[in-house]
Amino acid sequence: MSEQPVGQGPVHITLLMGPKLARPVPAEVTEALLSAQITATAGERSGFQIAFDLTKTGIINQRLLPEGFFDPKTRIIVTVSVRGTPDVLFDGLVVRQEVGASNQPGHSTLTVTGEDLTLLMDLEERTARYPNLPPSERVLAILRRYSDYGIRPDVYAEKIAQPPHQDLRVHYQTGTDLQYVTDLARANGYTFYLEPGPNPGQSSARWGPEVRLGIRQHALNVNMDANTTVDQLTFAYDGTAREEPQARWQDPGTRQSTLLPQPPISPLRPPLGRRPTPALRRRTLSGTAKQQREQAEAELLARAAVSADVVSGSGSLDVNRHGYILQPRQLVGVRGSGRAYDGDYYVKSVTHNLRPGSFQQNFTLSREGLEARSDYVRP
Amino acid sequence: MADIESYESALGAIPGSHPYPRTSRYHDAEIGIHRQEDGTEVRYTKRRLLPPLDAQETQEHVVGAGERPDLLAQRFFGDPGQWWRIADANPVLDPEELTDEAGRVVDIPSAGGMPRGDRRV
Repeated sequence: MSEQPVGQGPVHITLLMGPKLARPVPAEVTEALLSAQITATAGERSGFQIAFDLTKTGIINQRLLPEGFFDPKTRIIVTVSVRGTPDVLFDGLVVRQEVGASNQPGHSTLTVTGEDLTLLMDLEERTARYPNLPPSERVLAILRRYSDYGIRPDVYAEKIAQPPHQDLRVHYQTGTDLQYVTDLARANGYTFYLEPGPNPGQSSARWGPEVRLGIRQHALNVNMDANTTVDQLTFAYDGTAREEPQARWQDPGTRQSTLLPQPPISPLRPPLGRRPTPALRRRTLSGTAKQQREQAEAELLARAAVSADVVSGSGSLDVNRHGYILQPRQLVGVRGSGRAYDGDYYVKSVTHNLRPGSFQQNFTLSREGLEARSDYVRP
Repeated sequence: MADIESYESALGAIPGSHPYPRTSRYHDAEIGIHRQEDGTEVRYTKRRLLPPLDAQETQEHVVGAGERPDLLAQRFFGDPGQWWRIADANPVLDPEELTDEAGRVVDIPSAGGMPRGDRRV
């Protein structure tokens, strides 16, 4: 890249901040950026930590900080463009700030920490009743309240239909919207997370199965000489992680309790490995006897699917060398790690570490068995 | 369960069943389905509309002798395959038109910017 002028490298970061409508920050703020760390995990809240240089006479110290530019609940959007391809990495709210004043010149820092927009859903507790609504419609009704932050619902119907009976039971929400939505997702084997993008200021709220289908991202190459893109990659295979849940259900009419059959988890999680791991543990779910039958079945399926991932990998890569941003919550191929561990994986979480001059990513991968299903991975 | 073909290879033979990679200009183009008279479905990429011209920030560049669109893309974006962003910003039909005449001023989109058009996930 020797012919590139200064400041025209292949990775560009853009910060947008503002109370509800985020606007590009002044140039001084971007220049003061020391580091940014962004974590995105499937089924959990994303978070960020951004450090700025706090010089004594700089615009941040003199004007922006006292005027409330970095106050809590300020919206912050981070977009990164790698080799001309832009991507929204984060869309969230500031939760806390820390100022470290130092005697050494140039060592004072302002650190801003925050969480993604699901924080909005976690702020106030609410009691609401949802008569005659199945779980996915309840989630839709909740998400509709947050559309002014550009949150678009991406809600899937549950795998085991649970037709509501208003005369038997009315579902009732206590606690915050986020807790209720996450509980509903867990009871159906789904995940709930916010995916920022595709444009700044938009994000889609996914309440559905993990994306274990479709196109794979560019493969992670390890131990492949000049083609290596991953700095290090370690795999772990935990045989006791998978368990076979068992649920009993009691028929209210006849008082007969029956053991529910084991559901196949492949509609929720299409297999990625050729040799699935047998379940060593067996657990009995409590409280399923008095639920509706469909609800008990859904919980059985959810528990079986969640514990299915026994192979996990973790590693780190340099985006400049890899050439692409590794996106969390999607599939990726791995090659070069041997016959047992090669193949497709689900990217469980990614931590982006940005500093001037470097963009590193730490990631964790998971799947449910050894050996690749396919003979090749997407390069 | 072990004999199910993986999703990737099952759909690999159907053109247009995969989305284009993020670096491609057809990434946001819509995939249409044409139904032939005998009932078979053919997938095709629908016409791609250019993002509005004044929507993104650009900088001007004076073309020198011997420059090519891919060289410009390498220089400004770090990837020669992104020349189509420059062609989009100055609307030209033939990318050669951008640089065939030294001294011409072309608009180059700023490298960190998001193109404002309708982007799909």
